[in-house]
This record gives sequence, C-alpha cells and structure tokens, in this order.
Amino acid sequence: MMSNTLDSATKSVSSGKKQPKIAIIGCGAIAERYYLPALARHPAILKNLILVDRDKARIQKLATQFNVRNYVVDFGEVLEEIDGVIIALPIELHHPISMEFLSRGVHVLCEKPLAESADKAREMVEEAHQSRAILAVNYFQRLIPSFVKVKNLLAEKTLGEPLFLKYCVGEKFDWPTVTGFYFNSNISARGVLRDRGAHVIDHICWWLGGKPNLLSSQNDSFGGSDAVAHIQFMHNKCFGEVKLSWLSSFPCKYIAKCQGGIVEGDVYDYQSVVLTENSGRKRQVKLQSESKSDIGFRMVTNFINVIYKDGKPLVAGSDVLDSIQFIDECYKAATRFDMPWYEFLG
Amino acid sequence: METLYLLGSADVRAGIRNWSSAARLGRFPVEIALCDVMEKIQIAQAMRDVTCVIHCATGSRQVIIQGTKNMLDVSRRLGVKRFVHLSTAEVYGNANGKIDEKFPYQYTGSAYGDSKIEAEKLCWEYYEKGFPITVIRPSIVYGPFSKDWTVRLAQSLQSGNWRIFKGIGEGVCNLIYISDLVSGILLATRHEDAVGESFNLAGPELISWNQYFQKFNAALGLPELRVINPGRARLKTSIMKPVRSSAKFVLAHFSDPLKKISQKYRFAREVMRSFEKTMRTSPRLDEFSLYSRNAVYLGTKARDILGFRPKFDVESGLKLSVRWLKHLGLIGI
Repeated sequence: MMSNTLDSATKSVSSGKKQPKIAIIGCGAIAERYYLPALARHPAILKNLILVDRDKARIQKLATQFNVRNYVVDFGEVLEEIDGVIIALPIELHHPISMEFLSRGVHVLCEKPLAESADKAREMVEEAHQSRAILAVNYFQRLIPSFVKVKNLLAEKTLGEPLFLKYCVGEKFDWPTVTGFYFNSNISARGVLRDRGAHVIDHICWWLGGKPNLLSSQNDSFGGSDAVAHIQFMHNKCFGEVKLSWLSSFPCKYIAKCQGGIVEGDVYDYQSVVLTENSGRKRQVKLQSESKSDIGFRMVTNFINVIYKDGKPLVAGSDVLDSIQFIDECYKAATRFDMPWYEFLG
Repeated sequence: METLYLLGSADVRAGIRNWSSAARLGRFPVEIALCDVMEKIQIAQAMRDVTCVIHCATGSRQVIIQGTKNMLDVSRRLGVKRFVHLSTAEVYGNANGKIDEKFPYQYTGSAYGDSKIEAEKLCWEYYEKGFPITVIRPSIVYGPFSKDWTVRLAQSLQSGNWRIFKGIGEGVCNLIYISDLVSGILLATRHEDAVGESFNLAGPELISWNQYFQKFNAALGLPELRVINPGRARLKTSIMKPVRSSAKFVLAHFSDPLKKISQKYRFAREVMRSFEKTMRTSPRLDEFSLYSRNAVYLGTKARDILGFRPKFDVESGLKLSVRWLKHLGLIGI
C-alpha cells in the first residue's frame, strides 16, 4: 500500500500540465537501481525520458530493461532539449556537467556527494541562483524517518544539549560500480569518507545545525582512496567521533548522548530509534515505514514537481555545503594511521 | 601488491575480477585492471607489458582449474618471463608425517584441495613446454586479511563458542604469517633456481592447533578457553551440520525475501544476525580432520634454494594481527 506522502507526490505530478522532459546523464549502477525504477512509476515522464551515456551498449541495455525510447551518447545533444536533468555520473563530473545545464537554466538533481570540493559545490549553488534554476541533490537519507526523528529531537532540544555523538559505518565495499572511478587515484584519492561519509557527515552537520570543528582526522590512504577513516570533532559542547570502513563489517550505529537522555539507532533501521531517559528507562520509538525505493520515488517525484515550479527541493544544493566543507577539512588535515603490520615487509 | 608497492621494487599492476573488490587495493596509487581469470580477452588486456605474474586468484573448482589454464595460456602467449602460482599444502591431502615437496598429491574429495592439484598439474604441463613456472604451497596463512585463521577465529574466540578440542586439536598447526609468505613469494619471483620447482613455505614455529587457539585467545585478552572432550565436540558439530546445510539452501534460494524481512522487522534482523554469528563462530566437522592432522610441511627446500627465513614467530604475528583486527573494528568496537 502506498503511504500518504507517496499518494500526494503522485497526485501532484499528474495534474494535467505538460509533462517535463528529463534526461539521466550516466547510466551506471545508481541509474539502474535507483533513478530508473523511480521514474518507471511515472509512465508519462518515462515516455519522454532521455538516457545519456558514452557506453552505447549500456544505454541500450537499460533502455530495453526500462522501456525508454530515447537515448544518446553525447550530453551536448540534450543541453537545449530538456527541462530537468539527473546527474548520475562519477563524482568528479558532477560539477562540470551540472554547470553546463545550470547555466542554461535547466534544473538539476545531482547524485551525492554534490561535488569533489566545497569550492566547486559553492560554484554550483551560485550558478543555480544566477540562472534561476533549481539545484537539488540526492541526499536521500535526509528523508529516512529515523534520521528525521533524530534531527527533530536534537533541533527541538527535546533531550537537552547534545554532549556526545558517535557514528560508525563498517561495510565491505561491494557497490557494483561499472567504471571503477572510485579507485582511480589519478582522478581523485578520496574514498570511504567521501562516499559513506557523505551521508554520515551530512547527518552530523544537519543534526547539530552546522559544521563542527575538526579535532583530528586519520585514514589509511597510501596515496589512493581511503578505505578506513576516523574523525573526531567538537560542536559547541558536543564531542563527536566517526568511524568508517570499506574493509570490514561492524555494527552500523549512531548514538547521541544529550543532557536529558540518549537517542540511538541502527543505520539500516529506518523505522525506529531507541530513547533512553536519564533515569535509565529505555523505549523504542516506532516510526513510519518507508523503503529505500519509496524514498527514491519521493525524491524523484519532488524533482518533477520542482520542474513544474511546484514546491522546493527536498534537499537543495545549499543544504549540504557545510558537510562538503567539513569533508574537505578532514581530507586536508588527515594523517595516516599507525599500521605496524606494514613495517616489516619484504 | 601492497608489499611490492611499499618496497618500490617493481611496477605493479593489480588484477581484479570486478571493481567491487577494489577497496583494499585502491588505497595505493597503483594501476588496477579488470582481470577475470575466466575471460581470456580481459586477461590479455590486463597483462600487456607484464614480465612477471603472481597468480593468486581463487574461487570455485572451475575458477581454480580453468582460470589457471587461461592465465597460463595468455601469459605464455604474451611472453611473460616468470609465473608464480599460489597453490596450497592441501595438495598433500590428509597425509601425516614430515612432508617435503616430493610427496605425492593426495586427493581427498575436498573441492579446494583437489582443484589445486589439477591446477598444479596444468602448471607442470606448461613448464614441460618451456614456460618458467614456480609453485608455492603455503600452509595455514594468518595475519591481516586472513579470513579463516585470523578474522573468523578471532570472532569465534570472542563469541565464547570456541573451545580447546581435547584429543582433536593436538595436530600440527603449520602457521605462516602473511608477511613471511609474501617474502617467500617475492624470493621465488627473483631466484633463477626457483623455476620448475615447488616450495613449501612454513613459519619458524611448530605448535598444535589447541596451542594456537590458546595463544590467540591470550593475545585477544580473553578469559581462558574451556576444554571440550572429543565425543561432545563431535556430537555438537554433527548436530549443527544439517542446520548449516539447510541455512545454506535457504540463503541460496531465498536471499531477497530474507533481506526484505530483515529490513522490515527488527526482531527478524536480530534473530538472523545471531543465527549467522553462531554458524560462523562454531567449528565445522570437516575442520576437525585438519586440527588432528599430524603433518609437518618441511620448508628446507625454500631455505636452501631461495634463502627463505621466516621472521615472525606466533607471538609476534598474533600481536600484529590483533592490532589489525582492532584497527578494522573486527573486534572490540
């Protein structure tokens, strides 16, 4: 059964206006698993959708799979043709390609992270402002009920001032990336902090209401992409730490200890958080049930509505500048872990 | 690959089957190429200008045998100067006693050991045709990134499901620390007399499996291990056998619905996690034959020909292993 949010989302885009023309630039794993299934639930939009990728075999495969009639290999062919574009490219291309569309007033929904650096992200936000285009960004985790609950608890100071925040995500990297762009150190030497960290750091900045001050940053890069990263920070009175790993699986959890209690949760439990009062009383707070595909549908539907000039983006480019800036600072300050198992080689 | 890069002694190209397995290698600014050993065209592209191949790919029986054949075929065609094939001491099967490289192959019915025998036989066929091959037969490899003898064992010890297996775990545990193994492989790539030879590579110390469990347990700072008698140990693992097979079947055929259920229901997720942990951290029946095997894989030939001298005794190897486990949050997070 569809949730109320989804019902209203669908209604909003089917109100008889001319259907916007949208292109997806980049037909890798995220297009196949996230955007196209969401767009497939909007048949009228799908009819005009244009797939763009340099790999013709790949677009043909996806076009057949999702019944899309239009595809091209050069994004230049659609620059003047479309109302909105979904940028699902490797990260280093988010900025240059988005700028091409934004400067022509084409609305953009960009995959996360918004850009390689805060400077580039700011340029994108500025360009969108100048050309009156909307720059939305797919930080879909900001729509997940459990994360929204933490945001509300901290913003409304329900539990008092936050004093400690810890966030751990340890999962072996298994994203079926088609091009391997994650691991091309000639293009970028950023890894798990830029990838998993894009969400984690964004949550932290969003929950705390601003960018924290970096205390320390360590990772395991030898000149390539980091696969393990540890960060420590302060925000007002709140001390925080982040542990990320692409090499090992450990419980993916967050915990915020506040003056008046604790809120904690499992990163993949979208439907509940656990609250502990200072008295020690613990209770699970059940939240609205929403799957990742429902959230993807909501994000895409919102973008379509934005093109209709009907509402604001769920997550705008300007919303995530703090987290991108903080990630930049972490990389700039990073030192390598002490890893004695590499000291006795040969 | 990590060692070759850090020593700066060679230009390295790392071959991987797909990009989703590249996170570890990606930390180093080396060239990474797709090289599925079942795809000859891909192998040829990955191997352009390569002079020395260290073939460590593993997988199913087909991957081990046909994959090795493909690697040998393409390497020979492209004029590779040295080919080092990573085999295993499992090619000696369940034999006991002192075992050197002349000991005959022994099939046991194990998919891994038997396939490795077939792969070695292919190597010797190519050697007969003049292709410069060396075969390495490591025994029990432990240390960072060792799945079975470091990660799983540490988690088993931590879980409280592990025991000293009286009367079972008294066999010889031929340990070799990963850095020692890599040193041996590198020596094999360089030494002229290594061509056409196979080498057992073993660590400097011989201890029993039960001693290994105790030492590892102590290195992890855990309370002393309890002892279980052989009858009870065998009974417990026998009972678990059909449970394991059923779980494997269910996972193979119903993984998507299970995933959906676990995402939706917290209780189901916790039950599945706990079940999976119990399965992973309890001994399997087939492991018992390994733990009671009294084989010593002699490393004399590697010492005499390659000059191989392992540096890591069990205590120092375990100390580094525990540091690494903590670093990755695999224990004590």
